[in-house]
Amino acid sequence: MMVYESDVCIIGGGISAAMLAQKLSELKPGLAITVVEAGVKIFDFDNRQKYRQRSLDYGENAWPEDFIDDQAGAGIISRTMAVGGSALHWGGVTNRFSAEDLTLKSRYGLAVDWPLTWEDLERHYCEAERRLGVSGEPGPLAEDTRSEPYPMPPMPLSYNLAVLKAWAEKSGIPFQGTPQAKNTQPYDGRSVCLRCNTCEICPTGARYSPDFTFKQLLAAKKITLHDQTLIRRLVASPDRKRIVAARGVSRARSGEEVEYRAPTFVVASGYAWSPHLLLLSDVANSSGAVGKYMTGHAFIGGQIELDATLYPGMNEQHSLISRKYFRCAADAPFVRHDLRVWESSAGRDPRLKDAAGRLLLGDALLTDWRDRTKRGAARVRAYYDVHPSADSTLTLDPSKKNRWGDPLPAIRHALDGPTQSRAAATRAHIRGVFDVLAKANNGRVLNVSEGNYLDHPAGGCRMGTDPATSVCDSYGRTHDHANLFVVGSPTLPTGGCTNATLTFVAVTLRSAPAVVKTI
Amino acid sequence: MGIGRRDVLKLAAVPIFRLQAEVPGQAEALDAAVLAAIAEVVLPAEADRPSAVDAFVRWIREYKEGADTDHGYGNTRVRATGPSPARNYAPQIAALDSAARAKNAGAFAGAPLAVRRAILEAAIADAKIERLPARPTGGHIATDLMGHYFGSSSASDLCYGVAIGRDQCRGLPGSDKAPAPLRRRAAAPVAPVAPVAPDAPLAPDAPLAPDAPLAPDAPLAPLAP
Repeated sequence: MMVYESDVCIIGGGISAAMLAQKLSELKPGLAITVVEAGVKIFDFDNRQKYRQRSLDYGENAWPEDFIDDQAGAGIISRTMAVGGSALHWGGVTNRFSAEDLTLKSRYGLAVDWPLTWEDLERHYCEAERRLGVSGEPGPLAEDTRSEPYPMPPMPLSYNLAVLKAWAEKSGIPFQGTPQAKNTQPYDGRSVCLRCNTCEICPTGARYSPDFTFKQLLAAKKITLHDQTLIRRLVASPDRKRIVAARGVSRARSGEEVEYRAPTFVVASGYAWSPHLLLLSDVANSSGAVGKYMTGHAFIGGQIELDATLYPGMNEQHSLISRKYFRCAADAPFVRHDLRVWESSAGRDPRLKDAAGRLLLGDALLTDWRDRTKRGAARVRAYYDVHPSADSTLTLDPSKKNRWGDPLPAIRHALDGPTQSRAAATRAHIRGVFDVLAKANNGRVLNVSEGNYLDHPAGGCRMGTDPATSVCDSYGRTHDHANLFVVGSPTLPTGGCTNATLTFVAVTLRSAPAVVKTI
Repeated sequence: MGIGRRDVLKLAAVPIFRLQAEVPGQAEALDAAVLAAIAEVVLPAEADRPSAVDAFVRWIREYKEGADTDHGYGNTRVRATGPSPARNYAPQIAALDSAARAKNAGAFAGAPLAVRRAILEAAIADAKIERLPARPTGGHIATDLMGHYFGSSSASDLCYGVAIGRDQCRGLPGSDKAPAPLRRRAAAPVAPVAPVAPDAPLAPDAPLAPDAPLAPDAPLAPLAP
């Protein structure tokens, strides 16, 4: 068995691991940091343009080999397992939560409060935005005050979005461009956005992905990165107060067993594989809360036709957001959601047959297509706040095992009683908002659909002050083991009502000084 | 508008993807004269049909069977691309030729436009194809060519009459302005088109079915160009 020693061993190689490793290396230069990731490195930036084109032309995976065949679970919405994690594919949207998310219990009597203040989190949002490189514009609402400006000017609204903003604001709802981890000027050695319309595989590197950070850290010899190494167990000391080793297998070396020893271990393996590893290892779970309170946000989307000339494809990845409904009066029916608007070609794509079922060929098809594009369309969506019950779980599924014999995770989301009881009213409210948007400019709602899963999943190792009901404290330090941390998405008690990656990064960055103190 | 015919011929001479060159039933099924004869019926006169055909041929040549498809955010299963659509084309083209000969029009490629149109309408009906495919599927070579072209960035530009350039890296400057009008290409001689009965007024669109669960924040995968 190969044994590796370091000052801190980070298990997982996604965006939280990248940000934590970077900050640790700054807080304590010379620290021996080892990052262990089950998936492969995809550091061939020069091939991105080719991968993008194959993805566009054939629908091929733009990140080749970024998954492990037999490392998948039920109910997991992303298969990506590679250095960089899901943030290889992400769209780069960097919305913040709001103060309400941290005070649900004290404001509304719902769910739980987070064990940290908004002011504290807000400072770390600013830091996360600096490290990722976020472009954005200040919001129109006083509640969204920032302590620092965005690092970069906002992405310009495309012609389409400018038209849609004017349209949407006729409803009286204020909108702004969505902040994004995309460069509007050269930043951190990466180039400016070229509006390629394929942010899931950004060929220019203008959209942040963690591989850039890892490459920088490796070039500066600030970390050691072991990819293709699957950690299977954390090993506790005989008194169970500390973690003494992480054991796994090297996939690159035919399953050779490996062991990592360090004064401090950090699990940064995301919402699925972090609680999965803790459950496999039977550690950090005296509360029984590991794998509980799996969270995220629900969503409703729709398409609205409107009186406007739009040109779909100008910048489909950029959108408008309104944060008006992030707030809810304490004495009003509880409903919190974001509201997004995109350009869309819904209902106006070329078609083979007209509404009467007649075949359209050549010029007839083009004429039909042109006729149907005279009016524009917008895609709208609201992520809304839902709260998990203790029955919202990640469990080990003994019927499904990987090649090493480890049971794989099964996630089953469940919402608490108050969330369920207000579900109909929430849906009615959001549909009403879509109607308001449509009617503001002689539009009509073409269709509405509801998501059947929770997006931006999180939880499973929630933070809290009470060791009886939470897995870790606000810094991610597990209540059971002084030298074991969990960072990022698994620690969130609730999932907010907007994209969550910036929040995962912010809470991770907040953990870094506490991690250093243990070394 | 895409690559030129000469470029395609050069590409065709080089086995860029050797695996594809070894998949039977592809290159030989893509007879240029037949494709041009189909294109004249199913693609609009305003389109650059030769370029559209070249792009389609290139797509087929560079197709990889068994390649992992995009499983990005929102997909739990990793799927692979299926057999090349072109595996189905040889019998389809043979059927077109048979139908043309049955009408005493010789081979399909040399048949009059109206005859080719009637044959293709019947073939599409026989294949029970109701929608344009987002990418070629092998359902029928004619609808595959249509789907490939009408899903392209250049077809979108033609529809809107402006240079949107959906699939290009275009930079941010100027994106706040409406796209510039398309430059009209020089009109190529067009074969006379058989008269077609005028369409009846279009009925209003049928209500759209509810969307499938929306993909999370990343947008839907773009159509094949």
